[in-house]
Amino acid sequence: MTTSTPNLSEVPGSILGRESAVTRLLLRRSAAARRARYSTIKIWVGVVCAGLVVIPVALAQVLPLPDPIVGALSESSLPPFSPGHLFGTDPNGRDLLSRILHGGQTSLVIGVLAIIVSGLVGIAAGAAAGYFGGWVDTIVSRLLEAQMSLPLLLMLLLVVALFGPSIPVITLVIAFAQWPEPARITRALVLVEREKPYVAAARVLGLHRVSIIARHVIPNVLQQVLVVVLLLLAQAVLLESALSFLGAGVQRPYPTWGGIISDGRELFVTGKWWLVTIPGVVIALLVVGVNLVGDGLRDRVRRAKGDQ
Amino acid sequence: MPQQPALLPPSDHPTREVSRRSILKLASLAGAGAIFAPALAACAGPKSASNASTAGAGAAGGALSIVLNRNLVSLDNKLNQYDAAVTVQRAVREALTKIGDDLKPELVLAESFEQSKPTEWTVKLRSDIHYSDKSPVTVEDVETALKLYFEVKAGYVASQFPEQPTFAKVDDKTFTLTTKNPVVTLDSLMSNILITPAKDNKAEELSTGLGTGPFVIANADTGTGTYKLTRNDNYWGEKAKLQEVNVSYQEEEGARVIAITSGQADVIDTITPESAAALKTNADIDVIETPGTRLIHLFFNFRKPKGHPLANPKVREALSYAIDHDSLIKALMNNQVTSAEGVVPKTLAGFAKTGDYTYDPAKAKSMLADNGASGLKLTFIWEDSEFAGASRVLEAVSQMLAAVGVTATLKMIPKGGEINAWRRGEAGDWDVLANGYGNQTGLALTNLQGQYGGTAEKEKTRDTYHGFVVPEITALLDQAGAEADETKRNDLLKQAQEKIWALWPAMWAWTPNNVLAKRKRVGGLKLRAINSYDLDAVTVSA
Amino acid sequence: MLTYVLKRIGQTVLTAFLATATVFVLLRMAPGDPAANYAPPNPTSAQLEAIRQQFGLDQSIPVQFVTFLQHLLQGDVGTSFFFKRPALEVVMERLPYTITLAVAAIVVTAVVAIPLGVWMARRANTAQELGANIATIAGQSMPDFWIGFVLLIIFAVNFGWFSPAGFNSASSIVLPTVTIAILQVALISRLVRREMVVNLASPYLTVARSRGISERALTWRYAFGNSAIPVVTALGTRFAAMLNGVVIVEVVFKWPGVGELVVNALKQRDFPLIQATVLVTVVLALVVQLLVDLLYPLMDPRVRLGEASA
Repeated sequence: MTTSTPNLSEVPGSILGRESAVTRLLLRRSAAARRARYSTIKIWVGVVCAGLVVIPVALAQVLPLPDPIVGALSESSLPPFSPGHLFGTDPNGRDLLSRILHGGQTSLVIGVLAIIVSGLVGIAAGAAAGYFGGWVDTIVSRLLEAQMSLPLLLMLLLVVALFGPSIPVITLVIAFAQWPEPARITRALVLVEREKPYVAAARVLGLHRVSIIARHVIPNVLQQVLVVVLLLLAQAVLLESALSFLGAGVQRPYPTWGGIISDGRELFVTGKWWLVTIPGVVIALLVVGVNLVGDGLRDRVRRAKGDQ
Repeated sequence: MPQQPALLPPSDHPTREVSRRSILKLASLAGAGAIFAPALAACAGPKSASNASTAGAGAAGGALSIVLNRNLVSLDNKLNQYDAAVTVQRAVREALTKIGDDLKPELVLAESFEQSKPTEWTVKLRSDIHYSDKSPVTVEDVETALKLYFEVKAGYVASQFPEQPTFAKVDDKTFTLTTKNPVVTLDSLMSNILITPAKDNKAEELSTGLGTGPFVIANADTGTGTYKLTRNDNYWGEKAKLQEVNVSYQEEEGARVIAITSGQADVIDTITPESAAALKTNADIDVIETPGTRLIHLFFNFRKPKGHPLANPKVREALSYAIDHDSLIKALMNNQVTSAEGVVPKTLAGFAKTGDYTYDPAKAKSMLADNGASGLKLTFIWEDSEFAGASRVLEAVSQMLAAVGVTATLKMIPKGGEINAWRRGEAGDWDVLANGYGNQTGLALTNLQGQYGGTAEKEKTRDTYHGFVVPEITALLDQAGAEADETKRNDLLKQAQEKIWALWPAMWAWTPNNVLAKRKRVGGLKLRAINSYDLDAVTVSA
Repeated sequence: MLTYVLKRIGQTVLTAFLATATVFVLLRMAPGDPAANYAPPNPTSAQLEAIRQQFGLDQSIPVQFVTFLQHLLQGDVGTSFFFKRPALEVVMERLPYTITLAVAAIVVTAVVAIPLGVWMARRANTAQELGANIATIAGQSMPDFWIGFVLLIIFAVNFGWFSPAGFNSASSIVLPTVTIAILQVALISRLVRREMVVNLASPYLTVARSRGISERALTWRYAFGNSAIPVVTALGTRFAAMLNGVVIVEVVFKWPGVGELVVNALKQRDFPLIQATVLVTVVLALVVQLLVDLLYPLMDPRVRLGEASA
């Protein structure tokens, strides 16, 4: 089981009964301590970056913002820092900040739903493949390989064209694109895990194989898999914006991040830089944040596992 | 991998080290080779020509680089013909006539083109014309060209003719074109039939070959849509001033604007109001505008059952008062469009002013209430990028309608041809369509027949313009089409247009200006209302 | 070995076939009418029908599929609706551009990411490494079209250093390459770092160091030599992925490659061209992957193909 390792820098030397030659300073400088500290820094920087985006997005309804869909043509294309419009307005006179925050809700909902679906499917498929082996593994592995060699973006665009650009379709399309990642890592981890004594013990106790996977194996690999799934959130947000960019975004007039950028693209060259730059920075900030948190967590999980 | 076992004696450590490293080295070398080989191959290919020529513009006559908004696909117009393509196509192949500055037909290869009888036109070719290889233009070339345009399935040009004229040779330079019903506009229509030697002409689009035009094709790459034209030194008329013209395309507006600001392109055409406004501030670039012939309208669905609010002209009229077109024109169209004053663009021959669109939300509200249509719900459809800033315009329109209590649902149909099923009413119900309607004959009659000349017969196959079938109007238009006398014809057209206007077929209509941007070094460019220009008159200075 | 190669080739053919068949069916199920894209504006039903006949779209989908398969067996993928030329020919014309871009991008990625990864491994757990780590993550986190667009505006439009779009000269490749590399460097450098950290801490390195071998040789000849295999494999996999994954960058820079071609083909519902593109890119990606896998045992004799896999 995952025992949380005490942070080395916090272990007081005195518990050993005598003053150690290894001073606190030396401990602080040790590679392990630094690694821990840097992963903490990464996580915190990440949390701040992501929080800067996620919190206002979540509060979009509460904040005193103009309507994201209704604008006044008399306030067309105002640059940032115009009175009443911090990020400026689009050609329809709609407040860009409000559009980014409301659009972020759609983009984030799509992202979160997508990783839930892809995470569940990926973990289930990966665990089954890793635990049962044999033909289950063959099928899952072949599917994973086949998907690798497909022109994925093209397929996604086709499917979006086929079923229309609605939120469920985009969500499922992104989930489809992402399930291999958690599946692959779960399979690899389960392959190791199933050889461990506790699994044999459970088997001897006569537990059903499905319940061994669900109750014993998966909880043990979940932590590492969830980090990967969290990193997929960043990918999902990027993929949503890429689909919008190529013209397969969510239906109007609901703004999404990709959609706002896509709309602003032709205006960028005419000097209305804020319509592309600001949403781009917002996406990048969120994705950097999520990636840093994920990366920091991965360092931690790996270390915890390594120490076991 | 036959040599593989020799490389891998598993116990021999040093050999293994060497072999592994050498393989890595080999791989990196192969990588380096792979990067340069295609790059070099590509450099040697046709594409590098366009760059070299832009750089070497100082050569006699100079070189011009045009970036179109669509792939030209071929230098022929049998299947497709869009505005700017005409410019390039006409530079290589010419027709008997052309649409001139005032949208009237002018003679090119024909010395005379006259209506000898109501159903017969007599045409005489000029005696001094010849192809770029100096071979003569024969009447058989014209016969073949005309025949092949009609053999192409669903050809664009052929579809503009009410019927296929019958060709009859009179002598080596003269022939007649006969139709069953009078086609009074045949001289305009024939401006789209490009002449090329009969033996090389095919019932498909030609990407190479000979023409009589001021330029010859030096290089045509239909795949990447790049063409290089050079001056035809044997041209029968006044020789072109440019030595070379390079044509390429960028579908994306932004990319074309970047191309002209960076000097990669000399001319870009059909640009949006936003880009035009931005380019006007650039000291190296001129923006040229002419009133256009394309009509864009928010057209009502005429397939609504009786009793539906939209079947009532009063409701349609009321809705038109909700549109604040001045704000739209100012904020979203940079004043580069004109609100329609009738049912066709006023640039067209035969146009009659029938009224103005007015903005009066109070009147809209009360008229809607009077006709029991308060709280109306409307679905708008349009194809992605049907016109510049389409989504923005419609989002603004939906707000304006909300102000008079009408709820608008916006449904943008992605590109791919799905719009066609919607327009036919097969994909779902809709109320208002935002659609552009081009015109390359310069004649109001072409528009009017295409949109308002619907018959019950055509409606069976859903081939009318969104269900607009008014027999009285159709009869007037047919009468006008057969009327040889211009004054009488225009009078009939005027009657028809007034009757159409009274039915309020569109919530709003407007005509965008043709907008073209050129670098200052380009001279002699005269943009016509049909959004094309003569390449032979264009000059560039170093 | 031979059976392994044959088996893999068989799998390649099967995957390519399945991918093309899936695309074939998806295309025909998708809403939209190719005929409408190739008909004159405001077409009549007779004109549309004529075009459908010409394209063979008036047949039922199973019949179309059988016809497609018959032609495919003869090496004919169909004639592009738009270009009116064999679709395969059009794709093959564009392929060198995509390959050039992918090769350039992978070379730049390797040239930047390998030294960076090695440097990060040698400075493992220092503030510098943390900085480099955060920087690469930031690079990887930006939307690719957005980076491309910003680079385009800054370097092509404002500074005018590069031509803004298309392929006009050798320097046209710089910006698209940089855009792709920014995204790939994080992945590769992190892999290099991870492998190098393990190898730098290995006992054999301590032994070698005790024999007075220079640090440079230790790092590159010994530690990196042993880290190279997974790195080369990863580069190969990324390369294979790029062959069908540089769509967005090609669209942003109007790079005349396969990706740009297929996005337009999709808009115009140019069925044969889309099918040809899918076929070519899938086969290409699989072949590259196969080559990487075949290279593997050459680099690491412990790996024997065909035995472990199954």
